[in-house]
Amino acid sequence: MSALTFTLKKDLIQKLDVSPLTPDLLADKTHAEIASTLLWYGKKQIAAGEAFAITGIDTNKIVFDQSTSKIDHIGTGLKTGKITVNGHAGAFLAFNMSNGNITVNGNVADFAASGMAGGLLQINGNVGDYLGAAIIGDRKGMKGGIVIVKGNAGERTGDQMRRGIILIEGNVGTYCASRMLAGTIGVLGNVGEYVGYGMRRGTLILTKTPKLHATIQDCGTHTLPFLSLMFKSFSDLPSKFAQMNQNRAQRFAGDISNDGKGEILVLR
Amino acid sequence: MLIKLSGGKVYDPVHQVDGKVMDIYIRDGRIVSRPRDDETIDQTYNLNGKVVMAGAIDMHTHIGGGKVNIARMMLPEDHRADPSQHSALCRSGCGHAAPSTFTTGYRYAEMGYTAAFEPALSPVNARQSHLEMGDTPIIDKGGYAMIGSDDYFLRMLAAKKDQNAINDYVAWIMHASQAIGIKVVNPGGINAFKFNQRALDLDEQNSHYQVTPREVLKALSRAVHELRVPHPLHVHGNNLGVPGNMETTLKTMGASEGYPLHLTHIQFHSYGTEGDRKFSSGAAQIAEAINKNKHISADVGQILFNQTVTASGDNMRQFANSTLGSPRKSVIMDIECDSGCGVVPFKYKDQNFVNALQWAIGLEIFLLTDDPWRIFLTTDHPNGAPFTSYPHLIKLLMDKTFRNDMFTTLNLDAQAMSTLTSIDREYSLYDIAIMTRAGAAKLVGLHDRGHLGDGAGADITVYTDNPDREKMFEKPDYVFKDGQLVVKDGQVVKVTWGHTHTVKPEFDRGIEKDIKKYFDTYHTMSMENFKVSSDEIAEGGRGGIVVQACEGRREKSL
Repeated sequence: MSALTFTLKKDLIQKLDVSPLTPDLLADKTHAEIASTLLWYGKKQIAAGEAFAITGIDTNKIVFDQSTSKIDHIGTGLKTGKITVNGHAGAFLAFNMSNGNITVNGNVADFAASGMAGGLLQINGNVGDYLGAAIIGDRKGMKGGIVIVKGNAGERTGDQMRRGIILIEGNVGTYCASRMLAGTIGVLGNVGEYVGYGMRRGTLILTKTPKLHATIQDCGTHTLPFLSLMFKSFSDLPSKFAQMNQNRAQRFAGDISNDGKGEILVLR
Repeated sequence: MLIKLSGGKVYDPVHQVDGKVMDIYIRDGRIVSRPRDDETIDQTYNLNGKVVMAGAIDMHTHIGGGKVNIARMMLPEDHRADPSQHSALCRSGCGHAAPSTFTTGYRYAEMGYTAAFEPALSPVNARQSHLEMGDTPIIDKGGYAMIGSDDYFLRMLAAKKDQNAINDYVAWIMHASQAIGIKVVNPGGINAFKFNQRALDLDEQNSHYQVTPREVLKALSRAVHELRVPHPLHVHGNNLGVPGNMETTLKTMGASEGYPLHLTHIQFHSYGTEGDRKFSSGAAQIAEAINKNKHISADVGQILFNQTVTASGDNMRQFANSTLGSPRKSVIMDIECDSGCGVVPFKYKDQNFVNALQWAIGLEIFLLTDDPWRIFLTTDHPNGAPFTSYPHLIKLLMDKTFRNDMFTTLNLDAQAMSTLTSIDREYSLYDIAIMTRAGAAKLVGLHDRGHLGDGAGADITVYTDNPDREKMFEKPDYVFKDGQLVVKDGQVVKVTWGHTHTVKPEFDRGIEKDIKKYFDTYHTMSMENFKVSSDEIAEGGRGGIVVQACEGRREKSL
């Protein structure tokens, strides 16, 4: 069966919220029903058929073609199935996603993986600010699952993140892991200033020593067996982290102005 | 322009009309008696078989002011989850528990309501409240100025100033904040909280001013009465939500020594301490006391199960409840050292013992209070539930079978503690018309609203009689506001702007000399800026001030 494909045909002026277009919400719907699904477009609602040319029948595999950064909320609340985005994705990608699989072959805007609780999100381009962070008004960010980013990530990555794994192959902006509550973030590139600002718990794995602020404390170099186990668990992931295997790291603890149970491990 | 509403079944308790089939005529926004035979009727609505009532009035609903805005800011998830679309007529908006201003107006009108009153208008925040209510379309509105914990008043009380001076201050506040009533929240308690008191009973002294809530209630209820303000002192009592607070409430009824009091959201003040969990219903005693004390009126503040947000001036009790918030966040704050505010989101659950019993207590009070002219239908929006759940509440009151079916789904321990199913009473349409129209208009002091007599403002709601009262009341066929058709089949068809109702009691302006000195010494703003003028409200063409006559309606008893 061919994947259910939404090819963008409308020149979007406003943001388009495609949260109703997920496998579990579209399961068992006819083509006409899918085309008449109402989507918020700015302050109005339009039918899905007005924005997209819709082809294919397999609702368990959804594809967005010609996608742009105006398309928000792709895969919101995703529970099952697979979504592929060819092009860019807007804000709130994989918002509150609990299971399933999303792949984006392009760049992603802010607040990706916010509230995500399970499943796999793979971003083959760059991602904006607030990856895995809590959206305004929520008190916790990402709560589980795995995010893989091939490119760079913006500021405040993992802000108030609660659980789960974010693996970034490129660079990350300022305030990485700020106010982090728990979880794991790995970065192969550089991180900006104020890494771990207000970090409460959680683990940040880096390959290069970043510029650290005063309330992050050096705890010396250690051999940590859990690192081998963790990298082994990454071995099936489509990421450069799958080839890594190191267990020696310089450990920094912080942010001691906020409990100080977080750790920044710089691999040696 | 002469409009005829032909052949509807009319419920107009002010004129003792109970379901009589009759015609109603509207001329230029006012209801008129039968015109001469030779006059031409411009438009006729055939309402055969339909139910006709005056527009409903919500006499206690938090729709404007600082705390509602805080609730909006604090609950973006509430707004995200409930967007409403922009149309050719209506602005877009959002929010379930704390809707945006425009959406509030549309939703009220679409439910057949034509007036709503903000009960906690903090005078220092009055401008903000009136601006927000100015953005609330279609419905009429007004506010009750919240005093009793402000330092100027407590200083007067502590200095044993004579009643005339207190009357002048109360009247000055009503003018300055463009209010139609006076409210007191946790009398003296908001102030006591700042002196580290975390509870205050009726006869307990404020540790700084050495005045008791009883003295506050007595002085204010007398002031309101002597100023001939129609709306009795609006009281949010001490010990809200505390098990055993029923005793405080019963004592509060006597605290005014016969001067009229309106006890608001009385459900939250009707708890006993019986049973294994030391939480029980005090509804029977409270209802009995309301029946007996003719100077008391009350609105219920019914809770209904769902997510909502509690917003109150009672920072003392909201601070105590802040750990119960769901989602767990809260704002407890002081407002310009003159008042307070607490906002705590809350989710009422039918399987929770306390919540289920609260639900039953509210309904027990509704059903055990005999006189519908002195008990009012509210959920204390949004504290008990959003106002959009009124049709559901009306069904609970009018349909015993439905009520008992709902009851059997509740927490079993709570069921065992309630006598709700033994009450057979069902409200009639006439009772509902009293509670939500005639009685409410009388209580607030809206002399030309809430009835369908000659000269009344043509605020009229037309329903299709449906045995399912929830369906009937959530979607009126027609709603007229000042004679203009604003809602048809539950949809807004015209957007108009309602009035702001106020009263302007007379007082000795000499008091301003002392108030000005106080403002110059202590306040962040000057006295002249504190005052909200009528012109400010009329600015922008979104409805102006209506000054209702200052004629007391309910006499002192005892």
